[in-house]
Amino acid sequence: MKKMMALTMAMVMTAMALAGCGSSGSSDSESASGDIPVIGISQFAQHASLDNCREGFIQGLEESGLVEGVDFVIDYQNADSDTQLATQIAQNFSANNVALMCGIATPSATACYAAAEDKNIPVIFTAITDPVEAKLDSGNITGTSDKLPIDQQLQLIRDLQPEAKTIGILYTTSEPNSVSAIKEYEEKAPNYGFTIESIGVTQQSEVVQAADTLISKGVDCFTNLTDNTVVDVLPSILEKTNDAGIPVYGSEIEQVKLGCVASAGIEYVALGRQTGAMAAKILKGEATAEEMPYETISECEYYINSETVAAMGITVPEEIASVATDVAAEA
Amino acid sequence: MNAMFELCISTLTQGFIYALLSYGVYITYKILDFPDLTVDGSFPLGAAVGALLLVNGTNPYLTLLAALAVGAVAGFVTGFIHVKLGVRDLLAGIITMTGLFSINLQIAGSNLAVERSIDTIFTSGPIMAVMGNSSLIYRKFVVALVLAIVVKLVLDWYLKTKNGLLLRAVGDNATLVTTLAKDKGTVKIIGLVIANALVSLCGAVVCQEQRSFFSTMGTGQVVFGLAAVIIGTTLFRKMSVVKATTAVMIGSIFYKVCIQVAISLGLPSNLMKLATAVLFLLILVLGNKRKGGAEHA
Repeated sequence: MKKMMALTMAMVMTAMALAGCGSSGSSDSESASGDIPVIGISQFAQHASLDNCREGFIQGLEESGLVEGVDFVIDYQNADSDTQLATQIAQNFSANNVALMCGIATPSATACYAAAEDKNIPVIFTAITDPVEAKLDSGNITGTSDKLPIDQQLQLIRDLQPEAKTIGILYTTSEPNSVSAIKEYEEKAPNYGFTIESIGVTQQSEVVQAADTLISKGVDCFTNLTDNTVVDVLPSILEKTNDAGIPVYGSEIEQVKLGCVASAGIEYVALGRQTGAMAAKILKGEATAEEMPYETISECEYYINSETVAAMGITVPEEIASVATDVAAEA
Repeated sequence: MNAMFELCISTLTQGFIYALLSYGVYITYKILDFPDLTVDGSFPLGAAVGALLLVNGTNPYLTLLAALAVGAVAGFVTGFIHVKLGVRDLLAGIITMTGLFSINLQIAGSNLAVERSIDTIFTSGPIMAVMGNSSLIYRKFVVALVLAIVVKLVLDWYLKTKNGLLLRAVGDNATLVTTLAKDKGTVKIIGLVIANALVSLCGAVVCQEQRSFFSTMGTGQVVFGLAAVIIGTTLFRKMSVVKATTAVMIGSIFYKVCIQVAISLGLPSNLMKLATAVLFLLILVLGNKRKGGAEHA
């Protein structure tokens, strides 16, 4: 009996502590916002592309005529790559009955959707490659997919390296986005006369070794996915490939800035803006998340890095040079 | 509905669910004095098996039993590597954890989602009969509470049996076990089996609650478990009326509360982990002070 008393006491204390601290937090935001709808943004990790998504998302809301601080306020939380934390962030949003939850990357979006299961809080996601696979394609949820424009990328490589035969790809076996992208690359590569040589790694420390292996297998070039584990050590990969004289193609602008030769990729700010525009429709009541299908970016952006292109001795055909942004010239 | 109340309920729910994992860590870390890193692999193992069975239409309660079983196997493997093959305790756990990463990928891929149309322990069976009209967060709360308490009571009972007493003896005084003509290696293996079965069970419950499995969801679980065990046992160190298992359960709740407080404070998200670390430190220091001792936690 005493034991149960102690347990109950502890729980009540816990609850009170929580309520005390929690209410001070929410009263802050209330005093700032009044009845302004709150948008809870749960971003899964600190990452340049995901940050771009978030910034684009807010831009998209403002481009749709909504003003931050007047029409909406943002409660931004980052899960630091921790799924437990993503769960608790989503539950916080749900308990505070935010007007809309925005999940950036799959684990955060999944946590938001689970926390909203019993409520009718709309969830919007971005930076998810395959919403169908993640079962986020039906219900009061919608968003944008960052599926890579693989056809365009293969065509780009063909245009820049007409003689190339094998493309090397490094990826992490635990990243769902990478696994599905590899499948698609393997299906589509023969259409452009390529074969794919891929190596899956399980952790960051293996990436550079795997790059050595690919180089020794004599691949004609590398192409990157949006694989966080691999992209995080891109500079060390580039050091190896530059020595070997092998061009590396990026999957987005940040990678080309780092020294990849070119990319037909996604611009994450644009993806975020598209997502923000969808969120604005929901907030204005013009459409519900339920009835809006998820969207992908239809046209891709071309980027080249004229410095590395020159170093590799590649000639860029006029039709690509005219549409591509040269990030070396920008910098 | 009052937002604060709802937040308390969902935070307590998380605390109860993760108490299952904390009991497991308590058995290895506190009772056996075995730093078991298998946890980071057996937690997602339970989730992977649970998710796979769920999407294939298995009864959600049966998936929990399956998770217990595979977790037990994982614990046995670590125990076998350590006791029979003579590999050091930390490394034995690391080996199993590393191997399980690939096994989990084989079982459920890198990510397996459980559709809303599929029933979980929170949306079917006894809980629907008792409180089918209540909202989901209350059902989750009650199921988590019942699981945490039932497992706690079973553990309390087990630790008082002859077998359980031997388990406790191995951590405190291994020579005693040998003089009793018992094999201390076998007892260690039993401890690891029970601990990892519980961790895996926790993984399966989390997978049903979140409706998803991620191959990376195991990362950091052992750290959480250790924190919960140490916070709980430190806070109630001198209170003999509170059973260790209860203390561990409360430790788990405290951890979840700390995180939720840090989220609710609305700090810049880059400072979240620092805020949590400071909260832990405060709790531990205050816990020590209150008991009038500066002994090590």
